[in-house]
Amino acid sequence: MVTIIDRTLTTFNTDGIDLDDLNHFCDLLFTCGVTKIELTPGLVSRLSFPASAANLKQWLGGRHFFLTRIYSAPTAPDDPRHKESKPLWKLEPNDLLEKNIPIRKLDPRQHRKIRITGLEDLMTRDYRAIFKTLLNSGVEILDLCPNNQQHCATAIALEWILAGGQSISCGFANHHHFPPLEEVLMSLSLSGIMNGDLSVLGELRTLYEKLSGQPVGKMKAIIGEDIFKVESGIHVDGVLKNPHTYEPFTPQSVGNQREIVLGKHSGQKSLLYKLNTQNLSDSAARCLLKHIKARCTQLGRNLSDLELVTLAREVENDDQTKVYC
Amino acid sequence: MTIKQKYIVDTTLRDGEQSPGMAFSIREKVIIAKSLDALGVARIEAGTPAMGKEECRAFEKIKLACKKARIIGWNRMNLADISQSIGCGADIIHVCVPASDLLIREKLGKNREDVLNHLTVCANAIHSAKRELTIGLEDASRADCDFIIQLIETARDLGATTLRFSDTVGIMSPSLCKAAISRIPRNIDIEVHMHNDLGMAVANSIEGLRAGAKYADSTLFGIGERAGNCNLEHLLIATQNQLDFGISLAELQWRQADLKSIIYKNNLYA
Repeated sequence: MVTIIDRTLTTFNTDGIDLDDLNHFCDLLFTCGVTKIELTPGLVSRLSFPASAANLKQWLGGRHFFLTRIYSAPTAPDDPRHKESKPLWKLEPNDLLEKNIPIRKLDPRQHRKIRITGLEDLMTRDYRAIFKTLLNSGVEILDLCPNNQQHCATAIALEWILAGGQSISCGFANHHHFPPLEEVLMSLSLSGIMNGDLSVLGELRTLYEKLSGQPVGKMKAIIGEDIFKVESGIHVDGVLKNPHTYEPFTPQSVGNQREIVLGKHSGQKSLLYKLNTQNLSDSAARCLLKHIKARCTQLGRNLSDLELVTLAREVENDDQTKVYC
Repeated sequence: MTIKQKYIVDTTLRDGEQSPGMAFSIREKVIIAKSLDALGVARIEAGTPAMGKEECRAFEKIKLACKKARIIGWNRMNLADISQSIGCGADIIHVCVPASDLLIREKLGKNREDVLNHLTVCANAIHSAKRELTIGLEDASRADCDFIIQLIETARDLGATTLRFSDTVGIMSPSLCKAAISRIPRNIDIEVHMHNDLGMAVANSIEGLRAGAKYADSTLFGIGERAGNCNLEHLLIATQNQLDFGISLAELQWRQADLKSIIYKNNLYA
């Protein structure tokens, strides 16, 4: 069983964050496949826990915690606790020693449970041999949290798990240069290793933006808002015939939706599709397409449906009227 | 440590511009191409001449403006498209060949034999015009390995100088990439074209280059369909002191910053 640790909340300033949002964020992380959520001591007091958590907090002092999901024991339907059969959380100590140490200096006598950080340049080295050394090191628990400053952390994380690694630490949306959680989960899902419900990722993105105050790039892999927008004629043609031709996974599987948009690279088929969805006549399609391409080049963006409707009516209704587009 | 010499094929003006909402005017295309040329990019995929007169005009101006880079015209496996590219003066005529059964069946409505036959016809037209032919295997990462080998052998026999291996939907991992590129016979130059759907375009490009590819495709800011293409800046950062593309990272960064307003116009969310 692969352990996926999410570290996003360890770097938030959570003072002003709404408690319901915080709880919901944790729920969604567990739903999409996270095994443990790492928390700072300050955060623990903001979340709802079973009563025994207070003692645990005192015992742990200033150290970090893991939040894990447990399920309450089944209760009889007439039991008053039956209504509370939702997932529960529990705290456990995070006793991973975090180090950015040379692999050759790894000593199982000193490092029983360790999280190795750094490793950002691993992709240009013989990473398979390095993973082998790590896996044969005799360390009891070995968690990898490769740095993403060289934009290869997802690949390193995936290759680590494929090589036999059992634990990986991530952060949502490349937070703090941790391996992007959503990319790691989807890569593992497509490899048949994980099966969390990734359809909550769209909701998770919205909540992350609210909690962090940081917008997620519209082209961000897996969770970008625009990644399922299709404009170019060749791709629209393929997607309309069979979406699988140009989509690695369905939009719905990551809580998104496909959108055919009109722009400089649109072809006749895209336009006819859009005119049809807007219940507009396609009699002047050829002329209209020229205007659309020119307008989009000038604007440097796609046309909205409203702009399309306006333009289509102008072109169709009066060929003699000069259309400013 | 030996630093290996590799080359960049920039596709900002073709695959990059296909990113929804991206649209460059002729003037903007020429500015971007001149900057890439000055930077030391080996090949510039300047667009798809079959798109129409505007694209052809841009192509001709780019060809005149660039001093060193070789200019590629991208084409579907279609004689009319190829004729447009030849007419625009492209140095290299690139033919995109759907390689997976899914694309051949669903998009083209044809079979493997049709593809091989049509490729031969296209190659002959390009050789008649005395232009360099390069062939791209679209959706190669989901294609049957035996058919990939057959296509590569055909490409070599047809006189193609470079074979582009495309992970069109960005589903490869570095180990899959290494395995795929290692299987390709070494008697043709290999180019890797990676998409970033799983956030691994840079890592996959590196692994492809380490496995023997000579060229890596990339775009400025990583723009491209869906989650984009391999980001040139990120590739240079990740391969510093390991691979030499003949491009200075610092120069790329200031040139890219200068081009940001052209590329993103009013949508500065890069």
